[in-house]
Amino acid sequence: MRHRGPLVSAVTPFRILPLGTPRPAIVVQNLTKTFDVPEREAGLRAALRGVFKRRTREVIAVSSVSFAIERGEIVGFLGPNGAGKTTTLKMLAGLLYPTSGEATVLGYIPWQRNAEFLRQMTLVMGQRNQLVWDIPVADSYELNRAIYRVPEHEYRETLDELSDLLDLGPLIIKPVRNLSLGERMRCEIAGALLHRPRILFLDEPTLGLDVTAQRRIRSFFREYADRYQATVLLTSHYMADVEALAKRIVVIHRGLILYDGALAGLIERFAPLKTITVDVSSPLLDPGRYGEVVSVEEGRVTIQVAKPDVAAVTNRLLADVSVTDLTISDPPIDEIIDRVFQHETIPDAEVEVPPAFART
Amino acid sequence: MTWLRLILIHLRIAVLNELQYRTNLGLQLFQSAVALATSLVSIAFVFSKTDHLAGWSASQLLAVVGVYFLVGGLTQLFILPSLGRFMEDVRLGALDFALIKPVDSQLLITTRQVEAWKVIDVLIGVCVIGVALVQMGTSLDPIQAMVFVIVLVAGVVVVSSFVMILATCAFWFIRVQNILVIFQAMYEAGRWPITIYPPWLQGALTFLVPVGFAITVPAEALVGRLDWRLLAGAVALAVVLPVFSRWFWMMGLRAYSGASA
Repeated sequence: MRHRGPLVSAVTPFRILPLGTPRPAIVVQNLTKTFDVPEREAGLRAALRGVFKRRTREVIAVSSVSFAIERGEIVGFLGPNGAGKTTTLKMLAGLLYPTSGEATVLGYIPWQRNAEFLRQMTLVMGQRNQLVWDIPVADSYELNRAIYRVPEHEYRETLDELSDLLDLGPLIIKPVRNLSLGERMRCEIAGALLHRPRILFLDEPTLGLDVTAQRRIRSFFREYADRYQATVLLTSHYMADVEALAKRIVVIHRGLILYDGALAGLIERFAPLKTITVDVSSPLLDPGRYGEVVSVEEGRVTIQVAKPDVAAVTNRLLADVSVTDLTISDPPIDEIIDRVFQHETIPDAEVEVPPAFART
Repeated sequence: MTWLRLILIHLRIAVLNELQYRTNLGLQLFQSAVALATSLVSIAFVFSKTDHLAGWSASQLLAVVGVYFLVGGLTQLFILPSLGRFMEDVRLGALDFALIKPVDSQLLITTRQVEAWKVIDVLIGVCVIGVALVQMGTSLDPIQAMVFVIVLVAGVVVVSSFVMILATCAFWFIRVQNILVIFQAMYEAGRWPITIYPPWLQGALTFLVPVGFAITVPAEALVGRLDWRLLAGAVALAVVLPVFSRWFWMMGLRAYSGASA
């Protein structure tokens, strides 16, 4: 493979940066990937026909996506299955060639797979493992150490540190096949970080794990990113992952970016309602006059109110009945995201969603 | 150099893996012994009826068997099993982890699976060749020995590149494991010098599947009946095929779509 230096001017940045400002770690412009997917009906006859004449359908997995991620930033990719999250991630990790568009990661074009670039990044996939099944974890680590040419002392140091953070302890002398799913995932993650990458692509890193294990892995990644100033791009459909790790989220659906910004902003934009829960000592008559009733229980009423009306409604409530407790909250993020995906078009969003292009 | 380093790294893993299951050595010895016995018995049978087979004497045929084991052992040491694993990985989507490593992807995928016991076949090959040379009563002069080594290396390179090209098809067709089975079957035909087969089959075994270049040509060099044109052809092929396989691999990487999300 030819050695190529970092490409400095391959992609024009979105904003005009003042001189001396470090470039973003990841810059993506109009990145598009289409797949030709073979298509046939079920049944033997259709299968036979398919042998001679393959019908393929072009599926747009990622459609002209653009964004930039600063060094040290943790960004969460949110979207339902087949939204194009993983495809985008794989292009940035250099695994897939895009159909069109441009991207640089640390100044390198990922799919040229420059060794220097590969040495600085890693990929963790929750549903696949790279550790060798039959031998102890430590031997698989040794394999990675050798391939990445990590010097012995540095390797020891990193392994001790990771082992400490992930609480690997006695796990690494066991064969992989004797580990539980949670233990295996922790070992996988350590194995993927032995070369201390500065860019982490995490594809559903907590898939299938129980809540405790998920929490542990989240706090680990936060710790790692802090310590090494690592740039992290995370996909997940567990909202809690994204909430815990990322300050910024990118919502992707049917290959298009629907939202890119702070988590708080997403709530602002897609949740025009607030939830008011009141505990009352006397029954609240006709709660429907205050807002949309969510639930009425013994001594507790939950209603939803448009944001601008929150103050007025609260005042009226406090005046009308004897309130023992009152809370105002945003609806759960999961619910908001759900609504985004179900309605597909978003209030005030500039993005138009074309019909049915999802990759399944 | 990288290649050698990668082979050694994976050899270590292979040995560790083998030590987990200790029955393999016995099985491998048994399998090699059966294969050798089959070859020897069929040669003995043929030569109980005749003195020459298409111009080859019994001891010369023994040399062919020796080269058959030697080349088979060398290619099955890591290249063929690694390519088998590669095809499996493409189908299951496990290739991603190989492609993100900071080493040349083609070198990496041809070294990931080492079958250390195939050394037995290599040793058998060397011994059988030795016995054949003694039987023929000829001693190899240095030039002849050098030519043998050249065509042997060329043969291994040709077979490896050829299978590499077949395996690369997995990027487009996903399920191509059968190709390796077909190749193994064709390779079996190399137990005999291909000159004993009808011309159409000789052609197929030379150009369609380069078994002729891998086994018959080195054996001919050994028994001193190699045509210089075949020597030139083998060397040329050993240069052209790897270059082509490299180009084809790069095309394959472009086409790789990864097992779905």
